[in-house]
Amino acid sequence: MNIRIGWLYPDLMNIYGDRGNIITLVNRCKWRGIPVEVDELQPGDRISEGRHDIFFMGGGQDREQEIVYQDLLELKGEPLKRQIENGAAALVICGGYQLFGKFYRPFEGDELKGIEVFDAYTVAGRKRCIGNVVAKSALGGPSGTVVGFENHSGKTYLGEGCTPLGMVSVGFGNNAEDRTEGAVYLGAIGTYLHGSLLPKNPGVADFLIEKGLARHGGTVRLDPLDDTLEKRAHDAAVLRARKTH
Amino acid sequence: MRLKTRTALLLGKAIGSTSRALKLGGGSTLPGRVARRADSGFVPAMVKELPLGCLLITGTNGKTTTSTLLASILDKAGMTPVHNHTGANLMAGIASALIRESDLSGQLAARIGLFEVDEAALPAAITDTSPRLVLVNNLFRDQLDRYGELDTLASKMKKAIAGLDRLAVVALNADDPLVASIGTGMKQKFMYYGIDDERYGTDTMQHAADSKHCAICGSRLNYEYYLFGHLGRYKCPGCGMARPATDVAATSVEMLGMNGTRCTLRYPGGTTELTIPLPGLYNVYNILAAMTTSLALGVEPDIVIRAVEEFTAAFGRVERIKVADREVLMILAKNPAGFNEVIRTLTSGTDKKSVMLALNDNIADGRDVSWIWDVDFEMFRGRLDNVVCSGIRGWDMAVRVKYAELMETSIVTQPELDKALDLGLELIGRGETFYIVPTYTAMLDLRKTMVERGLVTPFWEGK
Repeated sequence: MNIRIGWLYPDLMNIYGDRGNIITLVNRCKWRGIPVEVDELQPGDRISEGRHDIFFMGGGQDREQEIVYQDLLELKGEPLKRQIENGAAALVICGGYQLFGKFYRPFEGDELKGIEVFDAYTVAGRKRCIGNVVAKSALGGPSGTVVGFENHSGKTYLGEGCTPLGMVSVGFGNNAEDRTEGAVYLGAIGTYLHGSLLPKNPGVADFLIEKGLARHGGTVRLDPLDDTLEKRAHDAAVLRARKTH
Repeated sequence: MRLKTRTALLLGKAIGSTSRALKLGGGSTLPGRVARRADSGFVPAMVKELPLGCLLITGTNGKTTTSTLLASILDKAGMTPVHNHTGANLMAGIASALIRESDLSGQLAARIGLFEVDEAALPAAITDTSPRLVLVNNLFRDQLDRYGELDTLASKMKKAIAGLDRLAVVALNADDPLVASIGTGMKQKFMYYGIDDERYGTDTMQHAADSKHCAICGSRLNYEYYLFGHLGRYKCPGCGMARPATDVAATSVEMLGMNGTRCTLRYPGGTTELTIPLPGLYNVYNILAAMTTSLALGVEPDIVIRAVEEFTAAFGRVERIKVADREVLMILAKNPAGFNEVIRTLTSGTDKKSVMLALNDNIADGRDVSWIWDVDFEMFRGRLDNVVCSGIRGWDMAVRVKYAELMETSIVTQPELDKALDLGLELIGRGETFYIVPTYTAMLDLRKTMVERGLVTPFWEGK
């Protein structure tokens, strides 16, 4: 069994070290002897039906996000959504997370349609939410928390059709109101957390790998890895988050 | 001088001497903060006393190296600069420098103001100092949690520069498309500098590349080659914006590892061979920036070249420290592009090195440490004997290094900087060098440790 990752817009959507998530997914497969490949999916490239096990998309600056927006909506949106319904895993961060929702409502002008993987929508906010985040999460592994760094002004609200990735105990989260952070639908995770997210949250990384492998049928049980360093970095970041807020 | 300004000055002076007497540090921002609170027009009033006006130096990387070199050139040219030279580059730092350099009546010995300012502080600094020259060296992603996005920052800078006096000179790095585009459609006098040599160019952009699209029309830029991050020779297929012709350029560049760089320098009216005693292409840009500025001010090329050759690295940016029979070499790296260039330099020799990577996340470093995932630590593979990860986020660094899969390298983590320093010195042999790559506040902390041990003098007692 192998894993094939589809990295959406690697040049355009990679702000704040988001590629650390790809490095983590690749290494955690490799270290377990699972062959892994990464396809870069640029504007104009089509999604091949059933080819990818995990999709990844990072955040971008406004201008880059505009370029991506047309391509995502017109070319990749429908097939991407279908892959996720059929069991593919996905991790989308910040701007990517917003585009995977139903719509984005700016201060002025028309609502921008999203690709509707998540039953969630985002409205422009006046205040920028910046800082360390700690959220209680079922995907947090033994510590029961995910930790990262948020930097967004959009406020995202979840509907009934998805569940939050976690509930914040430090930081703002989706909208600075309801304490939710991120969204999970089937194997897809959307979140505002940078850090990069996966290196310090190996539980989330392994969730994506498991979902990706499960597409090939049968029960998946990942071999455990030595995560001592990752856990120490996680715990140190949690302490630091509490101290800096 | 207005009474209000005079009072602010005296207040600032008192704070500065108290702080030094109590050994609270160099007083590089507090006196200025107090003075500006007492008189919000303090800086504008004080800079009026400078007969040769003010210069502002900005850019993500190299501000301190560039302006320290400039200070030494201007000094040699008899222009006597007042310089905020301790990396305290916000408005309070400028005010503090003015306080330090003036006597109690507000008389300044200095004749020209040389101020390094944070990119985000440039508009405020332009308003307060009405500079005769502004230099923008480069724009990289750095502490975005503080500055907002790079494009927004560039357009704010452009707007502020558009408001400059028509006679003002603006010096820009031609190789940085985001910086060079500040010059399009403006009425001031622009001078461009860059590296006219593709031998160190690569076909692919480093992961830390930040500006991929034309700042004018948004099209994706075509590159002939990349030199350093998104710096290189580029052209926009959409609107035709291209790397401008250079007034000052380095050609025939030859990199000599940690020993520096040799190049031929072309400037209006001549060329000269130059050995730059600082490592890395990024320092070539710093030298070009300082030269372009001095030549724009009318300093004789001979004076400029002599000053460059004598130049020793600016405080903390590259610093060699003797520790008994060993040596510590400390090189600041605070963002992906700078870090990649440091790694490129450290791996240019054939010997295997021992390195400390010290990552702090204080406000001056940027709270967000995600950027370490944009640094190509993979370049260290097979090139290191030991890595010591340290600093407040030392464990984050350890995970980054683990995922870079450095074969045959021993990795240890010790978040406490002074202990990590001891550990590193034990790992190397007599006569060997321990390399430290710290973020800004980690560098300050390490320096403090070394001051306490009597290895280096405090920077406020230096030049």
